[in-house]
Amino acid sequence: MATVAFREVHKSFGATKVLHGISLDIAEGEFMVLVGPSGCGKSTLLRMLAGLEDIGGGQIAIDGRVVNDVDSKDRDIAMVFQSYALYPHMTVRDNMGFSLKLRKEKQKLVDERVANAAKILNLEPYLARYPRELSGGQRQRVAMGRAIVRDPKVFLFDEPLSNLDAKLRVAMRSEIKALHQRLKTTTVYVTHDQVEAMTMADRIAVMREGRIEQLGEPLELYDHPANLFVAQFIGSPAMNVFDGVVKGGAVEALGARWPARGGAEGQQVKYGIRPEHLEPAASGIAAEVIVVEPMGAETELVVRIGNTSLTVMTRGRSNSGPGERIFLAPQAAHAHLFDAASGQRI
Amino acid sequence: MKRFTREAVLLLVAIPILLWTLLPIYHIFLFSISSKDSAFSGTLWPDQPTLRNFGTIWREEHFYLHHFWVQIWNSLWIAATVGALTLAIASCAAFAISRLKVRGGRTVMNLALFTYFIPAAFLAIPMYKAMGNYGLLNSRWSLVLAMVTLASPYAIWVLKQASDKLPYELDEAARIDGATPLQLFRLVYLPLMTPSMVAIGTYALLLAWNEYLYAYLLLSHEQTITLAVALGHFIAADDSPWELLMATGLVYALPPAAIYYAFRRYMVSGLTAGAVKA
Repeated sequence: MATVAFREVHKSFGATKVLHGISLDIAEGEFMVLVGPSGCGKSTLLRMLAGLEDIGGGQIAIDGRVVNDVDSKDRDIAMVFQSYALYPHMTVRDNMGFSLKLRKEKQKLVDERVANAAKILNLEPYLARYPRELSGGQRQRVAMGRAIVRDPKVFLFDEPLSNLDAKLRVAMRSEIKALHQRLKTTTVYVTHDQVEAMTMADRIAVMREGRIEQLGEPLELYDHPANLFVAQFIGSPAMNVFDGVVKGGAVEALGARWPARGGAEGQQVKYGIRPEHLEPAASGIAAEVIVVEPMGAETELVVRIGNTSLTVMTRGRSNSGPGERIFLAPQAAHAHLFDAASGQRI
Repeated sequence: MKRFTREAVLLLVAIPILLWTLLPIYHIFLFSISSKDSAFSGTLWPDQPTLRNFGTIWREEHFYLHHFWVQIWNSLWIAATVGALTLAIASCAAFAISRLKVRGGRTVMNLALFTYFIPAAFLAIPMYKAMGNYGLLNSRWSLVLAMVTLASPYAIWVLKQASDKLPYELDEAARIDGATPLQLFRLVYLPLMTPSMVAIGTYALLLAWNEYLYAYLLLSHEQTITLAVALGHFIAADDSPWELLMATGLVYALPPAAIYYAFRRYMVSGLTAGAVKA
């Protein structure tokens, strides 16, 4: 277990600046998720921590030791790649034991560690197989096993679940989380999937265009997004956002008055409200139902007010059908106001 | 029906080509099992087929065959050494250029390709001069070095293209696992490159085995020449022993055929691996 610290880390590829001074402290044993759209620099940041990419400027420290000029192999980290990157010509056992063998550890210790990792990951029946004889999920587990046997200070995951099908992804998600709870190794996990981020992270760093937009615990990001980008990136289905003007303690938008707190009188704002905080009611703001998507436990409605489409999430079933008029009751306590120009939270 | 027509056309083209290829080989075979008198009889099968020619070769019982075993050993030794050296050079070069991304790698690749603008025959005289300067003439090493020089560019080119297809994450995973570049080369790169290596090794080996011009120039002593050059000596006389020449030629063709047959699985996949840039 170790801490990880990024201090004013910069990176450019040629003339393109991909990281603009990232500072981030990761606590001992923490599960930190870096999330953002593709090209936001999250993978580059992870690869710099792994030593696979030169550090353009600033410092990266593991357990207080600056590792800028330390070789990957001496950083005491283990990484799980999106493509698994298993050695195709080695059996599962040899794949997992490879790093220890390179360190010239005693065969007995290698066997012990591999057996232990295989047990944790339910890989015992597959130790003699080659990667090509395994399913995607099993390969992913071998890649994790290879990381575990090292007993490293930090685990690095680079979009490890992107190549798996949806069902397996959910299963592996909880497996990785359970693994972390068991081993308590500091983990840095990169993903573009905000659901993965929300469900697995102790803390999330939302990144965009080489900057950290917001850093915090999952629900903190969900309940109090610092700006429009985080508000729309975190949460599925995404938050409804539309233009409005603050007037008399509410926001006038889409020809109706939307309850809200804060904002200066006459200020141009973006009004944000999550689908589950916009419930159908007996009276309120009128809208026309366009699509009904029943999901069993809840129902998603796509409704239209004027030309603006909004998503509404209601618990249980809905009696409404397409073309019907319904009334929406926004919950004032859960409304978010953002400055129209800067996109920052008000 | 359409498929039938297509296959018929293919067969109509393939059969003449096959016959065209096999006819000279049959001719060699025919000569080699004929006695000296009936060699030019012009029949499709000799009246009294004989294996005596092969016995003569085995026991080195003819003026031209006095050093047969030494010469075939020379051929084998040179071919195997050329194969091994070319592989060593090409795999190291391909690894450095493709995996370690050494500076100037592109230039090396372009230079390698450029060497094929110059016909090998043009280089024969300079090569002869160079070997003379180093006092290597008439040594097996002169031919080995010359053939390695000729085979390496193509070998580097093919192996580099094949290396490019290995996922780079494997290298990164190995680096994080603690592998040094040499360990990466030995434990990850070479095992995965085996098919291409077999193909390229065989290519270099056969190139050296079949070489005549350079062998003829660089080696001149009866004890140092290869079998290819020795075969050439057969027709120096007015009264050439054709049946022995053909029998020896048949023997000479057997090792490459055996090697090709043994590695045919790798040859196709390995040589086409570098053909298209995927």
